Amino acid sequence: MGAQIKGRYEDVGREFGAVGRMKLAMLTKISSVKAEEIPDSAANLKLMDDAIAELRKTM
Amino acid sequence: MKISTKLIGLSVGCVVIVGGLAVTLVGELRTLSNGYNNLLEVEVRQAEAARVAQVDFKKQVQEWKDILLRGHNPDDLAKYTQQFHEQEAKVKAEAQALSGSVEEPATRQLLLDFLAADDTLSKKYEAAYSAYVNGKFDFKAADKMVRGQDRPPTDLFDKVVAQLTQLVEKRVAAQEAEAIRQRNTALFVAGALLLLVSLLGFVVVKGVLMRLGRLKAVSDRLAKADVEGLSIDISGNDEVGEFGQSLQGVAAAIEELLAIAAH
Repeated sequence: MGAQIKGRYEDVGREFGAVGRMKLAMLTKISSVKAEEIPDSAANLKLMDDAIAELRKTM
Repeated sequence: MKISTKLIGLSVGCVVIVGGLAVTLVGELRTLSNGYNNLLEVEVRQAEAARVAQVDFKKQVQEWKDILLRGHNPDDLAKYTQQFHEQEAKVKAEAQALSGSVEEPATRQLLLDFLAADDTLSKKYEAAYSAYVNGKFDFKAADKMVRGQDRPPTDLFDKVVAQLTQLVEKRVAAQEAEAIRQRNTALFVAGALLLLVSLLGFVVVKGVLMRLGRLKAVSDRLAKADVEGLSIDISGNDEVGEFGQSLQGVAAAIEELLAIAAH
């Protein structure tokens, strides 16, 4: 479960580092640990993608 | 609903309730005041007028006695005759005015009976006066003609005064009962509204305090970075709910930081 969401975390980690991952968790309220427990639903993926877009604007 | 909106709503509710209560009380007081004014302007005034007429009637009888006692002197005869007729006219006018204003049928009938009895008495006084003046001021003979004749009108007017006084007492008692009823109603309504506002305030404050307590427990765990199995279940669209959502973000960030550190 949550493989795609976890993948988003890895992408953000590569792009923005640890701070980026923490901010992503802050914005989505889903940590990479939690990502393993939740499904890769369309809603969850959209939440992640919107947060990453927000990160790209601010970082 | 936001806490601020709830508190403003509660305050506005209190103001509206207090305002409404004040307006209602002013209205009730006005009704009560009008009742007392009406009582003073009608029943009390009538009872007072009846007492005045009662005294004037007794003065008229007294003037007649003055005529008999002192009428042998021409000056006194003229003086007391004039005073007697003045009192007589005054009593008639007062009784007629009263019979026109009194609405209570039994009392009005007593007044009409008094006027009729007074007319009869006036004729008897007139005859006795002629006999007195033409009979060389024989007061005994004149007195014999009218002796005890003032008793029936006196009794009738005493009854009028008693009935009007009783009517005033009844109206005062009714007004007092109405005042007590209105006071009790106002106290009951004010008490009920106060209880309602207190209950609403208690529910709002208790709800907020309970949720703030849960937030504090979450915040205490976050302060210790104890996020494992941490559940932040603070729902609602108010400020507390928004704070809970922010704490969810903080918890996720701490969890992510711990995960990064662990790798």
